[in-house]
Amino acid sequence: MTRRRFLACLLAVTALSAAWPRLGGAIPVFARKYGFHCTMCHSHYPRLNDFGWRYRLNGYQLPGREHEEKTVLETSAPFAVRASVGYNVDNFKRTPEAEEVNQFQVRGVDLLSGGLFGRNLGYFLVYPPRIEPARGVVGQPGTVEMANVIFSRLGGSRWLNLRAGRFEPAYVAFSVKRQLSFSPYEIYDFAFPGGLAFSDTQSGVELAGYRFSGPQYALGWTNGTGSNRPDDSAADFYLRVARVFGRGEGQTVGQRLGLISYLGRARPEPPLPVTDRKRFHRLGVDASLNAGSSNLALQWLWGKDDAALWGTRSDVNFSGGFAQLLYLPSTEFVGFVRYDLVNTPGEISQDITRLTAGGRYYLADNLALHLEYSHRRQDSPAPGLGTPTEDFFTTSLDFAF
Amino acid sequence: MGRLTAVALLLVGLAALAWAQGFLANELRPPVPIPPDNPQTDQKIRLGQQLYFDPRLSADNTISCATCHAPKTAWANHNPTDTGIRGQVGKRNSGTIVDAAYMRYQFWDGRAASLEEQALGPIHNPIEMGETLEGVVRKLNAIPGYRAQFQQSFGSDVTTDGIAKAIAAFERTIISGPSPFDRYLLGDQRALTPSAQHGMHIFNGKGHCTACHSGPMFSDQSFHNLGVGMNRPDPDVGRFAVTKDPQDWGRFKTPTLRNVALTGPYLHDGSERTLRDAVEFYHRGGIPNRNLDPLMLPLNLTDREKRNLVAFLEALTGTVPVMEAPPLPPGPEGSTP
Repeated sequence: MTRRRFLACLLAVTALSAAWPRLGGAIPVFARKYGFHCTMCHSHYPRLNDFGWRYRLNGYQLPGREHEEKTVLETSAPFAVRASVGYNVDNFKRTPEAEEVNQFQVRGVDLLSGGLFGRNLGYFLVYPPRIEPARGVVGQPGTVEMANVIFSRLGGSRWLNLRAGRFEPAYVAFSVKRQLSFSPYEIYDFAFPGGLAFSDTQSGVELAGYRFSGPQYALGWTNGTGSNRPDDSAADFYLRVARVFGRGEGQTVGQRLGLISYLGRARPEPPLPVTDRKRFHRLGVDASLNAGSSNLALQWLWGKDDAALWGTRSDVNFSGGFAQLLYLPSTEFVGFVRYDLVNTPGEISQDITRLTAGGRYYLADNLALHLEYSHRRQDSPAPGLGTPTEDFFTTSLDFAF
Repeated sequence: MGRLTAVALLLVGLAALAWAQGFLANELRPPVPIPPDNPQTDQKIRLGQQLYFDPRLSADNTISCATCHAPKTAWANHNPTDTGIRGQVGKRNSGTIVDAAYMRYQFWDGRAASLEEQALGPIHNPIEMGETLEGVVRKLNAIPGYRAQFQQSFGSDVTTDGIAKAIAAFERTIISGPSPFDRYLLGDQRALTPSAQHGMHIFNGKGHCTACHSGPMFSDQSFHNLGVGMNRPDPDVGRFAVTKDPQDWGRFKTPTLRNVALTGPYLHDGSERTLRDAVEFYHRGGIPNRNLDPLMLPLNLTDREKRNLVAFLEALTGTVPVMEAPPLPPGPEGSTP
């Protein structure tokens, strides 16, 4: 019955989309500032294209037009809203604590602002407002997701750009905030209890440099996330180096290869015995490869966590990643399929696999009809329970304005 | 109310509507800018028109402004580059003078900041008209019809300043009428075909065109390096030759796209024959070079998107003034060119 209702809903929305005239587009924050359509910077909202990638690298200024840019005080109010509404079905097996979903829901409500305070001085703000969970509404805690200032071209050099505040760090090679699927990148969410997940934004500073269609680096110093105490000093560091081969920035054109290294310290989270901060680190490789209308995103991470962070006898070494294929035949449609994998040692035995497939049809640049199915398996550390699985379907409208 | 009054009111109403329509149609562009030191007068415009069509402004009396900027070819011509006196071939495409009055800079490298400054350039360019300014003043002063008209327009004999002002005044009258795009923006939803409407979306999005081709003239009135000709030895350095600023190396003016369907071939060297060819050039992301504009990126356009983009560019075609060469004043010996 659930499946039938979902399919009926899917068919209805598909029929609606087929009959719907494509709208002209209209446009949050940056697009509104310039009068551009979203597709100027996004291959498919919210995913950036190469132009948008350069715009972001350049501190939210059009490269080569820095002297013509207007500040936030000279343009229309730089605020935007993003949300998705749709019918979600989330079925769990052998996961008694998980909450089944089979209903219409509103989720992912974000308030955004961004722009320039002056030449080479930009900012970006994302605030998901506090929403109490309710039937039909996915709750969110109301913390500031991003609030950062970007000092671009310090000393006139593209090799010195400083981002300070709370931001999505450069070690996230494939932005979680701008990903096309709703299902998470498993390896970015995998962490010791209460610990750092790559999908989290971080507070700190990041120094970055780049040459268009060339090498890029980012060096960061952040608080770390999760189980640190409020009085713990910032003690996490990371480095990302990347190189683009060919034209473009590796988003839709050119090939981008990257390496990351992350070194952090965190406290074990209760009920584990609380100790001094313990070390963990991550090493990763990534590639964004383009051919014609297709993009292949590859990510692999190796992690090593101090045993105290997991409560194990020995340090935990894990690895994982994903391979994601995007098919981008036009601005109106994008299809995606992704396989996620996390390998964990026998002592914690939480291996994860996830297969996700879906597509987005854009009724307008900033309004996507989103269809997605994802199947997830995670080994259970408790013997005899079998393998917990999750099946997630969604038919949603994802929009920003 | 008598029948006559009713008819009169109807006529007045229709006239008001026609005026309003004309006003609205031109609303997208501001009035043509007129410099305070060169006000438009009918006399001056007529004089400028004659000078524009007169080959006696060239050294060998064979080339006029209209030779390369001919009314019948949308005040441009269809050659990649043009041939001046004694068969000399230039290296840049002749841009249209239609709507040139709206452009902040003249010539591909922007070396003239006004139409007045531009008007004299080709006359003493050795490849184009090959005359000296002193020579052309002398020649025109020997033509009684011109002397009289200069006296009427400027209160003096023929001067280079007067020649420039008269030609510029004439060029300020060569303005295109509303295009389907203008009518669309003013509310006529049927003025653009669905294909052109989709092309407009590409133009302002995935095609990245509006990053430079913006505003009422579809030009940011600035200069960019697209890499045109940079794959050839000794490339044209464009704006750099004017400013000597290394950042201007290989940069050329963003031309208007109004009436672009009529003014091929395209780019500063006329290297792209059709609009589709020009779109393909941008689709490839220009030609890499050390000063390529950072906004030049391969576009990943589909064939349909390219076709629709061309359809939109074609919809920028307005009505372009058409005219024949006017009668020219006879020379001292009574002959006319």
